[in-house]
Amino acid sequence: MTHVVTANCDQCRFTECVTVCPVACFRGDGTRLYIEPDLCVDCGACVPICPVHAIVDSFDLLPDQEVWLETNRTQAKLLPNVRERSTPLATAAQRQAALGY
Amino acid sequence: MMVKVKDGKVTRVEGNPSHPFTQGRLCAKTNHYEERVNHAERVLYPMRRVGPKGAGAFERISWQDALSEISTRWRGIIAEHGPTAILPYSYLGTQGLVNGLTVGDPFFNKLGATVSERTFCDSAACTAYIMTVGPTPGMDPESFQYSKLIILWACNMLSTNAHMWPFVEKAQRNGAKVIVIDPVRTKGAQLADQHIRIKPGTDAALALAMMNVIVNENLVDQDYVDKYTVGYEELKAHVQRYTPEFAAEETGVDAQVIRTLAREYAATQPAAIRIGVGIERSAGGGQLVRALTSLPALVGAWRKTGGGILQLPLWAFPINWAGLHRADLTPPGTRVINQWHLGRALTGELPLDKPVQSLFVYNSNPVVVAPDQAALLKGLSRDDLFTVVSEHFITDTARYADLLLPATTQAEQVDLMFSWGHFYMTHNAQSVEPMGEAVSNSELFRRLAKAMDFDDPFFYRDDEQIMQDSMLWDNPAMAGITMETLRATGYMRLTMPAPEAYAPHAEGNFPTPSGKVELKASMAAGGNFVLPVFRQGSNDHQDGSPVDALPTYHARHESATKTPELAAKFPLSMMSPKSHAFINSNYPNIKRQFAHQGEQFVMISPGDAAQRGIGQNAVVKVHNARGAFTAVARVTDDAMPGVVVAPLGYWVDKTRSHATPAALNPTAFADLGRAPTFSDNLVEVSLA
Repeated sequence: MTHVVTANCDQCRFTECVTVCPVACFRGDGTRLYIEPDLCVDCGACVPICPVHAIVDSFDLLPDQEVWLETNRTQAKLLPNVRERSTPLATAAQRQAALGY
Repeated sequence: MMVKVKDGKVTRVEGNPSHPFTQGRLCAKTNHYEERVNHAERVLYPMRRVGPKGAGAFERISWQDALSEISTRWRGIIAEHGPTAILPYSYLGTQGLVNGLTVGDPFFNKLGATVSERTFCDSAACTAYIMTVGPTPGMDPESFQYSKLIILWACNMLSTNAHMWPFVEKAQRNGAKVIVIDPVRTKGAQLADQHIRIKPGTDAALALAMMNVIVNENLVDQDYVDKYTVGYEELKAHVQRYTPEFAAEETGVDAQVIRTLAREYAATQPAAIRIGVGIERSAGGGQLVRALTSLPALVGAWRKTGGGILQLPLWAFPINWAGLHRADLTPPGTRVINQWHLGRALTGELPLDKPVQSLFVYNSNPVVVAPDQAALLKGLSRDDLFTVVSEHFITDTARYADLLLPATTQAEQVDLMFSWGHFYMTHNAQSVEPMGEAVSNSELFRRLAKAMDFDDPFFYRDDEQIMQDSMLWDNPAMAGITMETLRATGYMRLTMPAPEAYAPHAEGNFPTPSGKVELKASMAAGGNFVLPVFRQGSNDHQDGSPVDALPTYHARHESATKTPELAAKFPLSMMSPKSHAFINSNYPNIKRQFAHQGEQFVMISPGDAAQRGIGQNAVVKVHNARGAFTAVARVTDDAMPGVVVAPLGYWVDKTRSHATPAALNPTAFADLGRAPTFSDNLVEVSLA
């Protein structure tokens, strides 16, 4: 089991999460982040810190979010490690407001 | 942990971002502690068994009836058989100086019940450590960030000590080499710079071969050794037999890898070693820790911050153990039963002067954590055994209770905590009122004292007084720390140098009889012993068997060389380490944790699996002469060839064949401290 980054990260990429991850298990490209499930230790530290509630314990995934399990696993294997915080995407504020956070 | 409460109910828990050690993180075990507190299956009222033992059928009764039944039964047993016919059984399912390890000790010591020897965790390691360096805090876990070389030896840090990892990782980012020595390819092993896979139970050969290289290649810090150790010349002669080639044969680690490890360890200072609890769980586990605790002195690792060894931060805390145990109340000579022998003690297989007539279990679930599961279930089924269990849930053990008593969780009680993992005192504030008629352990023992007509006011102290009495407040480590300040902040670091300045043994000052690191241990002369902290404060009936004064390799009890017939039948070595999502037997009944951990499984290497026709996720039977359990096979290189890994904690009633690794685990002791030998265990695996 693992935690996963779900749809809310799209157009945001806030990256607060990478500052608290004890095992540096975030991977990503310029658009969003993913969690490497084989490294995630389920500490949950990243969950409350995400401004758009994008990170979910796999146990809590809704049926329509289940797809993110495999997406995170696949993408994390392909993409580089992200461990430094960076500026959110230009669309982040708007997206955050749209999501109601 | 910060607990969020709404309308008198725990709604959420979070880490505390201001805490320097935990830094806002909890873990896979406790992230959703509210689900434990509010669980629909909590035991909330005293209950009496209505069906056969083990069926788990109970009816609600009043506290008054429960206490009256206990006192009537116990008075009868005491009159007929004497008080030692009553056996308490507990450990650390609940933590804290008020409600944890010692909460029932004064009561049972006063009652004159059999003393329960609780050598669950680190008993061999503690005995070995005390013999070598004395009860020193050792390294500050936070100081690992300043280390240049870190060895995590038998420590699955990301599953069992996750809050320490950031300090290790910081050192690694600053250029330190991180080496994991473990049969299992743990998450930590994957993140380390080097993973040395070692056959279970052979680590002492590796440690002693490191010494062999260090003394023979003149890698010793002679000045440190001369000033701050005793027995060096004898040790030097003694370790000549432990050549890298000898160790390679025993451990499966290449001799050149051993040489390089020894050279790097000696040359890269400050070097740090962190050992895990599982390290002691084989025939020679105690002497292994003697060797590991000797290593830092040989290379002068203690000289600088970030060098030395971390066994348990426990020793940093000035705890009033005598006041917590009250062993002075124990009738002299009271018998002692080791908890690993519970099954045999109940069935009568263990020679006893009189049988156990009543068992009182709290803070523990022995059916899952103790070995010899089949004997234990047989013993618990005895109709003439009066069993009382205080619990949160109807556990595998609670199913056998005649009386079941409701216990509060950490959120429903107040406590004061020392730590097994860092140097901070913690105040466990009460977040909500007890659920139903649940009571804290401290209140349970106040009620029992009253039921047994104890008149000493000591037994009626409130929790506030127990907290006040539990620490040695005038110790320098407690300077500036009061209950008021603890209540205000939730936690306080012991008064000691900051992590960047902490080098307690830069100039010796070891709390041993000689004041030095005892490479040759003077305490060995007294024979094997268990620290009184693990036996209700008692020092009676100690083991006393001979102990090597110099660190010595003892091969496994069960191996191809020592027990070839057994190895022919059961060629695989089994380990049953802690589960990532459980704390021992806590949490397997919580859906979230069970989902994270998965159904009971056994890790097996691809080669071993193929040889047995076992495919990925096949249902297999793991068995030896002691018992069998069924599990799902995880075929993975994370298990090394010849070794299978079955994490523990699963409840019997949630498994396919109503058995867990405890069914196979041996009752034999390690060489020191009567630690268990669960990693010294030959088994076979076949398709179920």
